[in-house]
This record gives sequence, C-alpha cells and structure tokens, in this order.
Amino acid sequence: MYVFDEKIGRRKFLKLSAATAAAAAGAGTLTGCGTVGSGEHAIPASAAGVETWGRDAGKWIPSCCNMCGGQSGILAHVVNGVVEKIEPNPWNPNNYTNISTDFFEGYTEEYGCAEGGAICPKGNAGIVQLYDPDRIKKPLKRANRDKSVGADPKWQEISWDQAVEEIAAKMKALRGAGEAHKLLWMSEDHSFTHIQADFCKLFGTPNYVNHSNLCDVARKASFGTVMGDGRPLADFIQSKHIMLFGWNPASAIKWVHLPRIITRAIERGARLVVVDPYLSDTAAKAHEWVPIRPSTDGALALAMGHVIIRDGLHDKESIAKWSVGFDEYARYVSDKTPAWAEKITTVPARTIERLAREFAAAKPALADVWSGPGQHSNGVQGGRAIAILNALVGSYDRPGTMVMPDKRGNKHQEVHPDDAAQKTRKEPRFDDLGKYPLGHGSGVYCQLFSNLAEGKGPYRPKMLVCVFQNPMMSVPGTDTVAKALAKLETVVVVDTMMSETAMMADYVLPGTVYLERYDLNSHWVTWPALGLRQPVVKPLFGQPAEYELVALLGRKIGIRDANGKDFFRIGPLSEKPIEDVTAWYEDFLSKELVEGAPKMTLDELRKLPGAVWVDKKGTRYEKYAEPVPPEKLKGAFFDPDRSGRAEGTAVYDKPKDKGGKRIGTVIGGKAVKGFATKSGKIEFFSKWLGEKKDAAGKPVDPLPVYAPRDWQPSSEYPLYLINWKEASHTHTRTQNNPWLLEIKPANPLIVNPETARKLGLRGGDAVWVESPHGKVKAVVKLSRRIHPEVVGLQHGFGHTAMGRQARGRGTSDALLRPTKADPLSGQALHKENCVRLVKA
Amino acid sequence: MAAVGRRDLLRHLVKAGAIALAAGGAVLEFGAASEAAAPLETPTRRKHRYGMVIDTRRCVGCRACVVACKAENKTPPGVAYTVVLDGLLGERPDDRPLFMTKPCFHCEHPPCVSVCPVGATFKRRQDGIVAVDYDRCIGCRYCITACPYGARFFDFGENYGAVAEGTPYAQVPSPEYRQFRVRAPGASPVGNVRKCTFCLHLQDEEGRYNRAAGRWPACAKTCTGHAIRFGDLGDPESEVSRLLRARQPIRLKEELGTEPNVYYLL
Repeated sequence: MYVFDEKIGRRKFLKLSAATAAAAAGAGTLTGCGTVGSGEHAIPASAAGVETWGRDAGKWIPSCCNMCGGQSGILAHVVNGVVEKIEPNPWNPNNYTNISTDFFEGYTEEYGCAEGGAICPKGNAGIVQLYDPDRIKKPLKRANRDKSVGADPKWQEISWDQAVEEIAAKMKALRGAGEAHKLLWMSEDHSFTHIQADFCKLFGTPNYVNHSNLCDVARKASFGTVMGDGRPLADFIQSKHIMLFGWNPASAIKWVHLPRIITRAIERGARLVVVDPYLSDTAAKAHEWVPIRPSTDGALALAMGHVIIRDGLHDKESIAKWSVGFDEYARYVSDKTPAWAEKITTVPARTIERLAREFAAAKPALADVWSGPGQHSNGVQGGRAIAILNALVGSYDRPGTMVMPDKRGNKHQEVHPDDAAQKTRKEPRFDDLGKYPLGHGSGVYCQLFSNLAEGKGPYRPKMLVCVFQNPMMSVPGTDTVAKALAKLETVVVVDTMMSETAMMADYVLPGTVYLERYDLNSHWVTWPALGLRQPVVKPLFGQPAEYELVALLGRKIGIRDANGKDFFRIGPLSEKPIEDVTAWYEDFLSKELVEGAPKMTLDELRKLPGAVWVDKKGTRYEKYAEPVPPEKLKGAFFDPDRSGRAEGTAVYDKPKDKGGKRIGTVIGGKAVKGFATKSGKIEFFSKWLGEKKDAAGKPVDPLPVYAPRDWQPSSEYPLYLINWKEASHTHTRTQNNPWLLEIKPANPLIVNPETARKLGLRGGDAVWVESPHGKVKAVVKLSRRIHPEVVGLQHGFGHTAMGRQARGRGTSDALLRPTKADPLSGQALHKENCVRLVKA
Repeated sequence: MAAVGRRDLLRHLVKAGAIALAAGGAVLEFGAASEAAAPLETPTRRKHRYGMVIDTRRCVGCRACVVACKAENKTPPGVAYTVVLDGLLGERPDDRPLFMTKPCFHCEHPPCVSVCPVGATFKRRQDGIVAVDYDRCIGCRYCITACPYGARFFDFGENYGAVAEGTPYAQVPSPEYRQFRVRAPGASPVGNVRKCTFCLHLQDEEGRYNRAAGRWPACAKTCTGHAIRFGDLGDPESEVSRLLRARQPIRLKEELGTEPNVYYLL
C-alpha cells in the first residue's frame, strides 16, 4: 500500500497497509518568548486548517508529469478532491539521473534516491494548468462555414453524446465508402499513442502521424545512421569533456535530471563546451561558448575530424574493430581544414584546432547535438558529422559517452485489422513518408500540410482528428496550414485550450490535463524504467479522457478486428466485455505491462514505490560487444556468408524469408550484438545511403558532407532568425499559465547590440520581422548573447487564441517560413529562416 | 570566451548588489566574507539557526524555486518570496548571465524589523526566522523600504484566474504560519506585507524540518540543479555548516552589518 505518513515513515512507502494512523501534526501556536526589541509574539495557528489541509490530510498520489514530454515523476497532494501541491517523485530515476549507479547509490525503497528528486517550473505549475478557467469545458460545434483565419467560428455547445454520434457517423461513412484512408490523425507523441495508432490501423487509415517530426527526427536520423540508435543518451555525469552542438539541456529541460547531471559533471571536473549561435542558459554554465553561424555545425565537426586524424589522435583500435568506412571519411576530411571551416562557421581556425585536440585528449568525451543544427535543410548530414566525432574517439555505449539506452518497457500489442481496413491501409501515406530515405514513423507534417494546401498528394483527405497538437503555430508556414485545414470536410480538435488550430476546427472536444488521465511512460534513462501516470482527480468537466474518446468512437463505429472481435469493448487482457471505458483502458494498459518488461498488472505497478518500475539490473555498457547467446546461434541464419565466419556477416534468428530478425553481426570472428546499422558496425560512411534519393529526388551522399543549407541570407533578408526553448514554457502549450508567465511573460527578439547599431535600433523598440512569407511584430532586446548575424527568440508565444493570458503576448515566428521539411528525415525546418528588421 | 573566473563573479556580484538590490540609492560593495563561516555569537541562545547555502555553479536559472514557492505558499500575482536574478557578468564580451535565487536572508540584524511601527514583524528567537503577523500588519510598507535585499512584497489583493473565478482551487488555503487562511477580498494577508518564511509551517512541534518527509522549504525541495541547500547553521554537522567550512561563501552587502543567514557559493 502506498502511504504517505509523517509520523510513521515520513514520506515513506510502506509495503503493509497496516500503518498506524498518525495524529494530525500539532497545531498550537508558533511562538517563543520575546527577543529584546523584536516584538516577537505568538501567531495563532489553525488546528482545523492543519487537520483539513495540512500535509497529512488527503492523499499523496504518485504519477508522472506531462507538462512537457519529459514525463518526470510527481507526487500530487490531493485534498478534498483538489490538487493542492505537486512535488518531485524521488523513486523515479527520471527526476534524478540517467545512469543506474548514480540512482541506486543511497537509494532506499522507503525514501527513493539519495538527494531527493526535482521537478522543473512547469511541473510545479501543473496545478494552474489543471484549474485554468479558460479551459474548454464542453464540446463545441462550428456554425460558421467560413474557415478563414480570424473568422468567428460561432461555436455552439453540444452534448458529448451528440459529438461522439456525429463524429463517429462521419467516420463510419468514410469507412463505408472505402475511404478510410482519407482520415488523417495527428497526436502528441508522449501520450496515449498506442491506442490511437491501434484505432487508425483497425479503422483502416495509414495516416497516423505524431509530434516527433516537429522535434528531433533529424537527430534520430543522424545518430541512427552512424550508430544504429536514433536516441543515444549522453552520460554527462561520468564524462570528462562534454561538447554540445545546438542543445540547451540545462534550460530546455526535457528530462528534469539534466540540470543536475550536467552541473554535477562540471563539479566532478568535466569541461563543458557549447556550440550555439545563442549563449543559451546551458552555455551560461559552460567553460566555453562557441558562437557559430546557424546550420554550419557540421562543417565545424568535419574540421575537428580533420585535426583529430591529422594529428593521429583517433582511437585506431576501436575504429579498426567496430567501424566501417573510416578511410572514405578520412579522405573526405583531409581537406576540411580549420581554415576552411572558419570561413563557413565564423569560428576562428585556431579555436577549432584547440577544440579538436581538447575533445580527443579527454577521456571519456562526448559530443551531442539536438534540434538547433537539426532543424535546417542540411541538418541530418551535419548531425552525422557530429555523431562521428564520438566514433573517432570510441565514445559510444561506454561510461561517460553516448550510451544506447535499453528501452524495454510496456509492449505495444499487435492488432489485426479486418479485410476492409487492410485494403485502405495499403493506400500510400498522404504525407509521402516513403519518399524520405531516413523518414520516421511519426510522419512528415510539413509534407502533409503542403500537399493538402496545394491539392497535391495521392488523394484528397476528408477528415482530420488532431489531438493535443497546434500545427497553426508549431508547423512552419501558418498560412499554408490554415489553407490546408480549410480544405478538409471535417476537422476535429481535442485539446484542453482553444488553440489557434482549434479555432479552425468543425468540432472542438475538451481534452484532459495529465492529472486527469492514465499513461505508461518508458523513461528516457539508460536502463529500463517505467512510470505510471494515473488520474489524481476525475476529469473536471466530466469529459472522457482522450483514450476513452477513442474507445467510444471505436464502439460507435462498430470497429472489429480480423477475428471479428469488438476490439474497443473486449478487454485485451481479460478477453471479456468491459462496458466501462475507463476499466476497459485499464485492462488495455495491464496487457501492455504483463507482456512487457515489468510483467505486472496496472494495479501492481500502482502499488510500487512512486508507482514506477525500475529494472534492478541497471545500466549495461558496451552492449555491442555482447556475444549472441549460444541458444540463439543454434538456429541462426548467416547472410551473406552462410558459414558465419566472414567479418561483417549479418546474423538472423531464422532465415530471412521466414521472417528472420537480425540479432547480431560477426565481428572479429565472433557473432556479437554489434550495432543496429546496416553493416552492424559504426558507420563513418554509409554505402547503402549512397544508393538512395532524397525526397527532392537528389542522390544522397554516403559521407556526412557539409553543404550549405538551402535558404541563405541575402541583401534583402540579411539576418538569420532562430528560435529556442527555455525552462519557463513548453512549446505553444503553457502561455496561458499565469505562474509560468510570472517567470517569463513574453519573448523579446534578441538582437546583438552591434547589429542593432547598424540598423538604428534600440532596446525596447518595436520592429517588424519580415521574410518573403510575411511579417510579425516583435520587441527588441539587446544582448551580446547572440551572434551578430543572427536574431532569435523563445518559441511558443504570439498566440491569437488559447486563453485570456496568452492572447496578444509576444511573437510567433511560424508564419515567416515555408512549410518545408528536410528531404532526408522529414524534419520540420523551424530554424531555416532569413529576415530583415524594420522599425515599426 | 574563457571560463568563468572567480573574479568575474565577484565583480558581477558587486554590480548585482548595486543594480538589483540597492535600496536608498547607495552604491554598495561587499567583500569576501571569510569570517562568515564561523557560527555567530548571538545575544540569545537559539535552538536552531536556519539558513541556506546556495551554490550558484549548480543553479541553471530555471526558476522552479520561484514556482514551487508559489505553489506551496499560494502567493498571489506580484508576490514571489524568491526570485532569480540573472545579472550579467561584468567585462566579458558575451553578456553571460549569473543566476542566483534570492529568498529572504533572515538576517541576524534585520533592518525590516526595527522599522515596523506595530511590532508585526519580528525575528523568531527559537530559530531566527523573520516572520510577519498578518493580524498586526497595517500595510505601511516601511519594512519593504528598509529591506536592503528587496525580499518583501505587498499583497495588493490581486488573484490568479483559478482563484478569482471560483475554480475548485479557490478553496485551497495558504498553509503559511499554519494559519490556513482562505483568500478573500480585503481579508489578511491582502493589504499586508509578505515574505519568505523558510516554509516554517512545515516544522514539527520541536521546530525541526524533515527533508525525507518532504517537510523542507519548497524551493530547496524542487531545485533542478540541487543548488539550494537548507539547514541548521547552528548545527556544526548539518550539510549547510559543512559547506560553509569547506567552501568560501559570500553574503550580499556584508557592509550593512545585516548578517544574512543565506550564503552563496561561487
């Protein structure tokens, strides 16, 4: 039983439910006798208050945050049915660290991690997100057929029954007409994704897309091609040299352990170098900030590679054994001198020389990159060049390097669509994902919206369900998105707030805040850990949670799987009909847990300390060198050398034509796990990539080449415009949250004083930021934190809808860009933008 | 763009003292306080002497402390018992900020106390915490002017939407001083001066905090960089006392003789 009891165990997890009841903390008075001249006297306390609202009143419910996608653990204090306070969950590793030795040192089942966890400002502000008076409370139906931006939708409140009835009827009609694929569905990528994907599959549409391609699929493609893992995690705390390219982890806190493990690494002697056009709050903690021209990080990395190889500082032994293509890479970088890179990056050649030598000399060192360099049209190749820096010095899957996480968690069950659904699912995806050689399952929002707006793509979609997404502000090219939305027959938006996208919808359904719903969160730490999100209060307006809405629609439409099973009514684990949709979903989650790594039911997970399952075995390093287990080798199939002796031979668990899964590679005469790349090794050069064409039809270079991004500054639009995230807000989602607005009320445009002087601008001036795609107004803030060729701002502000606090606050730059994706990965290009500033 | 040096930080802090914290227009300086580490002799013997040691190298400027304090004490708009300064390090080419969270320093010699005409604010003998009795406070705000650190705020009676518009959250009282006052127009603490209490409502009857139990100041409990360390400066074995011995702490505006109980590590 989970008990929060001060007298017995303090904040303690008790296995037994027989906790002796503790008396409420004494009230009395808070006093002492008078200090001379101080006027000290008694302040009477309220005994009734302590008893009714004190820390021992009500319940402390463990759960997971979802103010952003970081999913940190929380403890919610619920008193009299109200969430009164949210605090860190010290049992959840995500709140503390990303490696197990650090987590388990001093860990006790009673109290969790040694120093206690943490939660960020957004996590603390979840309460006012829940109780925001501007939340959408009832389903709304549009009465105005005019869907132009700014038109009054003339909302009519309708009942939930009517909403589900009407939306399901439209879906049913699509399916009945053999047009199920004309339903597009987009969602957040951290919440209730499995059930939405299942719905789309069983309904018969291939068009389920989610958030990731707005975020970091370029990084996934870069690391994926080089190391075979799209999301290695930087083991900061054990590193001695940390080089970050365009990543702001100490401020854009995705996982709340990041500030701790970065500052602790520095305390333990690591050197932190941040390469960024903007001196981010992470760079503020660094030993060195390297200001760089946007989108040129790849050139810097190649020149570092040049120096490292020229001076013989690379890890020759690791490279020989564990990689392919080094010679091709070495030849390529032989003329990528620091002097060459200086002209491209503006980083002085002698600085590049030093950065390279320091990086190669420190052991262990790591180089990581995120969305700064990634969200440009040359981002994937640049990211490969950075990932390869790790390969040069053997910095992969070892302590203090880029560790490949063991992501075992809940298991997404396989659903089997019926014949009708199978048929429409075989239609091409509307977002042309197949054209992107390094595309990601999350799809390509930019292609989807531009296809819609321009009437291109394989067919004409009719309906969109958009869950907890705001493409009007989060997809580049607001005008294109608006045009696209207006072309659809039916747009359904599910959200907690009236987003700019919701304003374009035909139906707006009130969503739930994370404190009102369930989810399973496989945490982004290096070893398996899974936290439960559970409703700590009932949905405030009696609305179904998003997964319940999916199930209700599924039932109403009458969706059945290939075996004729009423999928959204029959409990996946119990295999019995469950009328209550919440109970049905609990059964759904239980199935994922029982068949996944935790091997327990939902209720068993709920009862664990902090409601988090943590694999006691902890972080494993150098997993690539682990031999393929002998029992698996018995029936193994070797390709192409059937004898299994030739270096680089792929090992499958059974013949490929019988659905064999790759389980390893022959390296150094032994069948080992290797890397999940095509060659089974680290790839400096990816031959297979050279056989591909990108989405624009151009051949892909197998080397991590530097090529300038497509859109370069001109005399007309001379400045680079970039944007970033900070600790204060999440995407476009929190700008109505008054507590967060108190720490960051708006997003001024940061301009270097030197640049401002040339333009005759002063701090506080209002300016028009103009590009060929439009103009937006901003307020100038002068700072030498930004490269003189660059202006930039925090992303997320500039709402025209959402709520009373958010409207008219700050600037959105989304409409200044084309709706364009990177042609390799489908990454939305949020940072490829050139502008001019004109005094307003 | 070299590493942040200790000298930079000190120079910055002088500036921060002058710009962000000055009261009464004087430009103030302070020196490194090597003697600050020694426990103070106070005129009355105290059971506890609570204080903080804030490690600026661990502070990432996220402001979780500001919001956690708000969530704990249910403070209204414009009232923040701790704020994060991000003054710029001086004489550098890159406008690099230095982050410092700044709660009330619970000074040994608090200038705010002696100016109170009604004895509403006082320093608690048992633990050194500077408290405000809302029932006595007349809202004259002398203390706000007297505080050299800008640690006091006036409650003008504004409310966040969740409170003003009667959502379920509106019924949640503030646990401050264990009085559990529900916010109501015109009722204290509206019209009073408010400040950090080191979350003294979380103490047990003996005046002790308990970190493992979560009975710990909200800012220190949530700190993402684990920069805010809290404890009993009177206990030589406490984490804060050990830190003061091991490192070279500074206090802001030493020259005023206020003797803050909040120290910074650079």
